[in-house]
Amino acid sequence: MTLAKLWTIGFRDLMRNRRRSFFTLLAVALGLALLIVLNGFITGVFDDAIQNSIRLQTGHVQLRAPSYSDEKMSLLWADLLDNPAELVAQAQSVAGVQVATPVLWASGIVATPDDSAGLRVYGIDPASAFYEPLRAGLVAGAFPAADDRSGIVIGQRLANNLGLHVDDNVSLTVVNADGEPVEGAFTVRGIFSTGVVTYDESALFMPLAKAQAFTRTDGHASAIIMMLDAQDKADAVAAALAMPNVKALTWRDLNQVMIQSVESGMGFYVILDAIVIMIVAVIIANTLLMAVFERIREMGILAALGMKGRQIITMFVLEAAILGIAGIVLGVLIGLGGVSYLVNTGLYVGDMAGSTPGVPLGATIYAAYAPGLFANLALWTLLIILLASLYPGWFAARREPAEALHML
Amino acid sequence: MAVIQVENASKIYRIGEVETRALDGVDVSVDAGEFMALVGPSGSGKTTLLQIMGCLDKPNTGSVKINGQDVTRFNANQRADLRRDVIGFIFQFFALVPVLSAYENVELPLLLSGASAKERRQRVMQMLEAVGLADRAHHRPDQLSGGQQQRVAIARALAPKPLMVLADEPTANLDTANGQQAMEIMQRLNQETGAAFIFATHDPRVMSYARRTVTMRDGHIVSNGQALG
Repeated sequence: MTLAKLWTIGFRDLMRNRRRSFFTLLAVALGLALLIVLNGFITGVFDDAIQNSIRLQTGHVQLRAPSYSDEKMSLLWADLLDNPAELVAQAQSVAGVQVATPVLWASGIVATPDDSAGLRVYGIDPASAFYEPLRAGLVAGAFPAADDRSGIVIGQRLANNLGLHVDDNVSLTVVNADGEPVEGAFTVRGIFSTGVVTYDESALFMPLAKAQAFTRTDGHASAIIMMLDAQDKADAVAAALAMPNVKALTWRDLNQVMIQSVESGMGFYVILDAIVIMIVAVIIANTLLMAVFERIREMGILAALGMKGRQIITMFVLEAAILGIAGIVLGVLIGLGGVSYLVNTGLYVGDMAGSTPGVPLGATIYAAYAPGLFANLALWTLLIILLASLYPGWFAARREPAEALHML
Repeated sequence: MAVIQVENASKIYRIGEVETRALDGVDVSVDAGEFMALVGPSGSGKTTLLQIMGCLDKPNTGSVKINGQDVTRFNANQRADLRRDVIGFIFQFFALVPVLSAYENVELPLLLSGASAKERRQRVMQMLEAVGLADRAHHRPDQLSGGQQQRVAIARALAPKPLMVLADEPTANLDTANGQQAMEIMQRLNQETGAAFIFATHDPRVMSYARRTVTMRDGHIVSNGQALG
């Protein structure tokens, strides 16, 4: 028997109970749309977090002293690079490197007469293109010049939390290279907003020369940060900069913890995807089982005419395929509509963005298109739907024709 | 020559603890081209015997030979092939596939047997013309009267040129005129095609069409009848 005729019978049978077929199709569509939106959203979160981290913190490649530990933010000379200018020049000579700039990190406490906050101190070259996002995000004041001996720039959230404005004075305390706490008075020259909560509330920038003097790390840097013209050149650039007493780390190495925590978060979404697809499968199986019960006599007639069990099963699989494919097409359209909204408008999460330590998210989170992932979800949905139709099909096919015909 | 021989067939149905002996050691043989009535009161075993003859069910004991082949040992697929190629069915409730047109219903067994599109087209129209429904070819069952539906069922049963046609109370749901018309068509097609017709009935008017009458009671054949003419 031709598949075309089985399609015809399947399609017309579905049209016999249009309301039931429509709601089943809708369940498939909404289930898949939900998955597409959720996965588009989580992909966007992941991409945002990685790109924010690269753009504002790690760059694509970094050079560090082999003993430098990010957690300790050590200022011991042994843990620092002692020839940053040479390393910057060397890095800039490698193909693909657009920007190379030294940075000195320290942990510190900033205090006003009324309040204080723990933060990370960045000693930077204020003129470097790497800090363009901060310059572009200035909401008040200006970036200090490289020779500014007391100027700092802070994030808007930190400024709001401490009630600070441009030209206000603050006290900053760090533990210097000798292991001794030192305190200094600084003036807020500028306030920036990157939209990324982690930076806006816990980062303080000052010129590198001042930072080196303040922390007694004379001429040393924690790292050389590089931005490349393409993210996928990171391994090649790191390999080109391999040298003794310096380690070259790519953005993957530098964001390893975040990548792992996001990936384990993605594991939860895989479970969620599976649950939603299984619910859709149960709805399909239920619809087809109801159809089997209604049409058991018809199955007896078809069997009497010589239709074999496998052909009866095929008929139900085709009915499921019609419902599944139509539902998937509708689901993809609805899902892409939802993703498109979240790509363009985003979802404002405000302070919640800062609630996941180490994952730099903006206050507005945007989704991302992930065509491969969406196609996978659609194919899995179809596959599970087809598998779910096997049981009703088998249930219909296993009866003796006489038994089915008795159900008149 | 016998197209079907049923020998010592018994069929027992069990529902919970209750056992019903629907057939009890039945022997019956039908020759090619016969037009035979299977008569008896309700519950006498007519439908069960037809289902066993039609390979829709298996006897608990005994054998069924079609064209000399013992089919009781056939598996489900072999029995499906046999029903498709050798046996036509007409049911009391017409039993058309509701979502298919008259044309498509008649075409269905031909599709199952793998007939070409051209063969199917010719055969379907030939059969619909034979039952006087060529002009209703594209009507669905719910657009046809009961009599018309039963005539489509007759056309469908004969489309694959079966050796025998089994009809279970074919006129029970028809008025007198339609019942008579259906019987006349079956009688004519029996003569034209040479297919054996075996029909179960308890309607004396239908019995009068039969050239042989087999009478059943309580799962036994009480009269094996003699072929007339």
